[in-house]
Amino acid sequence: MLKFNLSNHLLVGSLVVIVFFVVAPNLVSAYRLELLTIFLINVILAQSYRLMATTGDWTLCHYILMGVGAYATGVLAKMAGLPFYVVMPMACVVTAFVSLLFAIPLSRTLGFAFFIASFALGEFVRHVWLKFHYPFGGARGINGIPKLEIGQGGEWYFIDFWDSQNFYYFTLIFTILALMILFRIDRSRLGNAWKSIYSDRELSESIGIDVAKSRIMVFCVSGFLAGLAGSLLAYQIGSIDPHNFEMVEMVYLIIWCVVGGVKTFWGPLIGVLSMSVVFELTRPLAEWRPALFGLILILFLVLLPGGLETLPARIRAMLNKTSKQREAG
Amino acid sequence: MSFFLVENLTKKFGGLIANNNISMEVEKGEIRGVIGPNGAGKTTFFNLVSGFYRPTSGKVSFKGNTISGLSTNKIARLGAVRTFQRAALFTDFTVLENVSIAQHMNTNSSLLNAIFGHDNHREAESLERAEEIIEFLGMQQERDTMADNLSHGLQRQLGVAMALATEPELLMLDEPVAGMNSGEKAVMVGMIQKIRDKWGVTVLLVEHDMRTVMNLCEKITVLDFGQKLAEGSPEEIRSNPKVIEAYLGADDSVT
Amino acid sequence: MGVDTIVQTFTNALVLGSIYAMVAVGLAIAFGVMQMANFAHGELFMAGSYVVFTLYTLVGIPFLIAVILAFPIVAAIGMVFERLIFRPTRGNVLAGFMATAGAGFILQVLVGQQWGVGLMRSIQTPYPGSTEILGAAISYQRLLIFPATVVMVSGLWYFLTRVKHGKALRACAQDPEAAVLQGISLNKMTSLAMLLSGGFAGVGGALMAPIIPVTPYMGHTFAVTAFIIVIVGGMASIEGAVIAAFILGFIHTIVTTMYDSVTATMVGVFFMALVLIVKPTGLMGRVKV
Repeated sequence: MLKFNLSNHLLVGSLVVIVFFVVAPNLVSAYRLELLTIFLINVILAQSYRLMATTGDWTLCHYILMGVGAYATGVLAKMAGLPFYVVMPMACVVTAFVSLLFAIPLSRTLGFAFFIASFALGEFVRHVWLKFHYPFGGARGINGIPKLEIGQGGEWYFIDFWDSQNFYYFTLIFTILALMILFRIDRSRLGNAWKSIYSDRELSESIGIDVAKSRIMVFCVSGFLAGLAGSLLAYQIGSIDPHNFEMVEMVYLIIWCVVGGVKTFWGPLIGVLSMSVVFELTRPLAEWRPALFGLILILFLVLLPGGLETLPARIRAMLNKTSKQREAG
Repeated sequence: MSFFLVENLTKKFGGLIANNNISMEVEKGEIRGVIGPNGAGKTTFFNLVSGFYRPTSGKVSFKGNTISGLSTNKIARLGAVRTFQRAALFTDFTVLENVSIAQHMNTNSSLLNAIFGHDNHREAESLERAEEIIEFLGMQQERDTMADNLSHGLQRQLGVAMALATEPELLMLDEPVAGMNSGEKAVMVGMIQKIRDKWGVTVLLVEHDMRTVMNLCEKITVLDFGQKLAEGSPEEIRSNPKVIEAYLGADDSVT
Repeated sequence: MGVDTIVQTFTNALVLGSIYAMVAVGLAIAFGVMQMANFAHGELFMAGSYVVFTLYTLVGIPFLIAVILAFPIVAAIGMVFERLIFRPTRGNVLAGFMATAGAGFILQVLVGQQWGVGLMRSIQTPYPGSTEILGAAISYQRLLIFPATVVMVSGLWYFLTRVKHGKALRACAQDPEAAVLQGISLNKMTSLAMLLSGGFAGVGGALMAPIIPVTPYMGHTFAVTAFIIVIVGGMASIEGAVIAAFILGFIHTIVTTMYDSVTATMVGVFFMALVLIVKPTGLMGRVKV
C-alpha cells in the first residue's frame, strides 16, 4: 500500500506545478509567456539568494553576480561566437569565480559590515562594466547577443530559440534542475551544517565546521546559480547594460525574500510568486510602484519579519491563544 | 610525546597579565580540573587552550601538534573539542538533528554528496551512533523535541553530547555545572565520568564549583592571580595551605 | 602638473571631503546609537536639495535661510524613520537597513510625483563668480562648503562634549545599558540621533543643490560613498568618519583629475576592501560590526 506521507505530498505537489508550467504556453499569450520566462529566471535568482541567507549572510551584490553571468554570456556568445552549451557552463563558472574573489575578503566581516561591503564590491564590478568599453560596451552595454539554437536550419534536430515557446521550455528545464539541486542541498548534511552557522557560529566552529570556508563555499555555489540566471536572462533579452543590474533590482530581490521568508525552501518561491502577481496587477500605476513595494517591504519587516512562510504558524498560535482565553473566560 | 601539554602560557591584555607562565600536562584518560577563585584567570586559560585567544607567549600542544593560535575548528579536527559555559545549541533543530550536525567531521558532507549521492551505509552508521548517544543521555523521549524547548540541565547535557558526537580524544568543558541545581549537577558528574570510562575520552574541565571538581577529578590544577598555584590530587589540594589561603582571601571556602 | 592644477585639485578635494564628511557624520551618529543603519541616507540628502529648490528657487527665500531651514525639515523626516522603522526593528540591524531601503523608494516616488522625475532645471547659483588662488579658479559656491562643514562639525563636537543631551547621546553610544540605568531614555536618544543624522544630510544636500544636478535619484551615489566612508572610518566613530571623508575626498579628486570619475569610484571601493581585510574594525573603530 502506498504510504501517504509528507514526501509523497511533496512529489504530487511538485508534479502538479511542473505540469502547469509545461502546459502553460498553450494557455497564455506570447507576451505573458515572456513574463513567465522572466518569472522562472527570478525563481532561480531568489532561490540561489536564499542559499546565501541560510548561513545568515545576506548580500547586496547578488544582482551583480547575475550580471556577471549575463555579461560573460554576452561576451562569449557575441564576441567569441561560442555555442550556448559552451557559453552557459562557462558563464556559471566565471560567476562562481568572481563570487570566490568577493567571498575571500567578505568572509572576514559579518552581518551589517558584510552586507554593506558586498554592496561596495558589487559597485566595483558595475563600474568595471561602465569603464571598459572593450569588451563590456561601457554604459551602452552589449547589444545583439545571438539567440541560442541547437543545430542549424534544415537539420532534423534544429531547434530555434527565437521562438519564445522553445526558449520558455529551455528555461523551465534549467529552473527545475536548479531547484532540484538546491532542494537536495537544503536536505543534506552540508545544508544543515550551513544552517547551523546561522544558528550559532561559535558552536559550529567548536564541532569542527570551518565557518570561514563554508561561507566562502556557499557564496560560490550561490554565485554559480546566479550566473545561470544571468546567462538565461542575457539570452532572453538579447541585450544587457549596467542599468539592468542596479541597486533597485537588488532591492526587489530582497523584497521577494523578505515577503516569502528564507527559513524554508518554499519561502522565496512564495515571495517571487506573490510579488510578481502584485507587480503585474499594478502595471497601470507604474510610477507609484516603487513606493508601493517600499511600503510592502517596510510592513513585512516591521509586522511579519519571518515572511509569509511563517504566517500559518502565527495564525495557529493566535487561534490557540484565543481559544485558551475563551476557555479561561 | 605528551598527550596534552601547556608550556609557559602567558596572555596579556594591554598592561594586564591575565595568565602568567602557566605550565601543565594532562595524561591520556585523565579527568583534570582547573579551578581558582574569581578572577584567577580560568576563563582566559580556557579561551587560550580552546583556540579562542592567541597566547602572548608560550604554547599549547596536543598529541605533539601545537594548537595554540589555531582556530577552534582546526583544534576540533585534531580531536580536542570544547563546550560552552552557556547553553549553546542549534535552537531551530531537534535533539537528534543537533547530535547529527555535530557528527559533521565524521560524515560525508561534501557538496557532490549533497547533490548526487547518499552513502547509505555510512549514513546508517552515523544515525545509529547518534541514537546511541541520545540513549546514553537518557533523552530518547526528547529525541524529536526542539532544542529550544529543553530545560537548562538537559540543554547543557545535550551540549556535552554534541561534543561527544564529534568523537573527540580530549573534551574541554567550560564550567559544565554552572547554573545547575544539585540534581542536575549529579547527573552531569555521572555523565562526565561515563564519557571517560565508556568512551575513553580524556576530560579537561574548568570549573568554579569546588565540590563538583573534588568529586570528579583525579588531579586538580589551581590558578590564582593568573598563575599556577598548586597541582595535585583532591586530598593534596584540600590540605594545601596556599590554596586555603587563596580561597579564604577570596572569601570563598574549600569544602 | 602646474601649481594651478595642484591648487585646484587640493581645493576640490577639500570641498569634496567636506561634503562627504557632512553626509558620513550623519550615518555614523545614527549607527553609533543602537546601530541604526539608514539605507535611505542618500534620499535624506536628496530631500535637502529639494528644500533649497522649493524655498529658494520657487518661493524666493534667500539661499542661506533655505539651507538653514533644510536642517529641521529633513531632521523631521529622519525622526519619522526612527519612530516608524528603527524603533520597531531595534536589535535587528539588517531589518532596519532593508526597511529604510523601502523608505528610500517611497521618498523618491513622492518627490518625483511632486516635482518631476527628469533632470531638474538647475538651481541658479546664489553666489556667482569665482576667486583665483595661485592661478586656480574656484567658485564661491564651492568655497562656501568648507567653512560650512567646519561650523557644522565643530557645532556637533560642542554639542556632544559640552551639552547635556549630547553627552547623554555619547554615553548611550558607548554603553546603552549603562545609559538606561542612569535614567537616560533610549527612545529619546535614538530619536535625537536620527534628528542630527537627518539634519546633517539635509544641510549637505542643500549646500550641494546649486552645484550638482538635482533629481529624485541623486542621493544614491552619495549614499554609496558615505557608507564606504563610515566603514573605512569604523562604523560608529564620528572622528573616523571625518578623517575617512577627507581621505576619500582626496583619493577621489586626485584619481578623477588623473584618470576619470569611474576609476575614482573603483579606487575608493578598492580602498575600502583593503581596509576591511587589513583592519576589519575600520581606522578608528572599537568594535567589529
